[in-house]
Amino acid sequence: MNKEIITAFSNAVLNVMPMLGISNVEFVSEKKYNNQIDSTGVIGIIGIIGELTGNVFFSMSEDCAKKIASYMMGGMEVAEFDELAQSAISELSNMLAANASILLSETGKTIDISTPTLINGAFTVSSSFSEVVCLEMLAENMPFHIYLSIKEK
Amino acid sequence: MRDTKIVVVDDSPFSVAMISKILGEKGFEVIGSANSLSEAVEAVSTLKPDLVTMDMTMPDADGLECTKAIREVDPNLKVIVISSMMDEEIMRKAKKEKVSGYIQKPVDGDELSLLIRRIMADEELFVELEQLYFTAFKEALTDTYNKFFKSVPDYKNKKTSNDEYSSRGISVVMGIIGKYSGRMILDMSIHSTKGIASGLLKKDDLAEEYVINVMGEMANIIAGNACSMLNKKNEIWGLRVAPPTVVYGESITISKLKLDTVTSVEADTILGEIYLNVGFNRSECNE
Repeated sequence: MNKEIITAFSNAVLNVMPMLGISNVEFVSEKKYNNQIDSTGVIGIIGIIGELTGNVFFSMSEDCAKKIASYMMGGMEVAEFDELAQSAISELSNMLAANASILLSETGKTIDISTPTLINGAFTVSSSFSEVVCLEMLAENMPFHIYLSIKEK
Repeated sequence: MRDTKIVVVDDSPFSVAMISKILGEKGFEVIGSANSLSEAVEAVSTLKPDLVTMDMTMPDADGLECTKAIREVDPNLKVIVISSMMDEEIMRKAKKEKVSGYIQKPVDGDELSLLIRRIMADEELFVELEQLYFTAFKEALTDTYNKFFKSVPDYKNKKTSNDEYSSRGISVVMGIIGKYSGRMILDMSIHSTKGIASGLLKKDDLAEEYVINVMGEMANIIAGNACSMLNKKNEIWGLRVAPPTVVYGESITISKLKLDTVTSVEADTILGEIYLNVGFNRSECNE
């Protein structure tokens, strides 16, 4: 997968998270992955169309999702991954994909993104393309993974 | 385009007169005006305008508080901020209140007219999509099913509420992108999925991988056909679908989504129940 795509998505996390008050974010590694992604709790799915086509999956544990949601709600305690917290993570997915699309447009690749779909529970996501790249990141020392199932036109 | 009814909100009678005159000259119908928050709420409640022009300073509130108050009366009301002050801070706050546009005073008639026409055209385009999209998706599901299995599903429990739901076993998520973005979800039990895949491939005991592929492809066909039908009705929508994502497992809860319009239905078929859920978002103010 093109380096620019990978950089756009990892930078989106490094850009957006601190804006939400989460300064402890780091990029750990980039790995080739298969198209069967086991959920660790919560996954946000966003479709991509344009000069690139595919899907991006933001994956995290429910604890990580609650922690991020708490930051997004101004430090409010989030005990349950309830409707409010879910809508925060759904919005986060949207913000990350939108930020990545801006970064990609600066490299000459125009993409449009769909509305996010947020899923939680014990499940597996099967992406359309067999080649998937996983960006392993840490937010507040908790795994936050981005799976890119994207092809260039 | 039908006549756009406008209420002008401004604490200065001079500004009200100026803006009303410009709007009148440009062919819009100014049905009332207000000089304060309370008058604005009253005017919106009784006159039911399509759009309000909003000053940023009022004796009893600022323009954004006033916007909030009138949106409580009519959540879909279009608001344009017309103010002499126009800095980043104001624009950011206005954007947060989902204001449809901003114009700086002194008002340029052509600029204002163009902005209103664009906003109302967008609104009509979304209303048109809202009226048509679900029929198109349902028709696409019926056609696809009929072509594959020579049988037509029976639809029941149509809902337009935006609820969280638990999957029956397998969910296919299709992102939709165009003038408005959205997504389609097709959901069914593992048992039904296997039945469908076996029926199509004329083979029993299919590997899980095949079953997943068949479901992804079926959702892709339905969403693609539905979007084509809609684009034929109005090419401006330019709807396209992202590749399918199939989700399967023992517990799948799909969150209540932030969508401006959503419709779901259950389809009874010879191979079990299929749940179809489609929704779109009105594009947000990004000017």
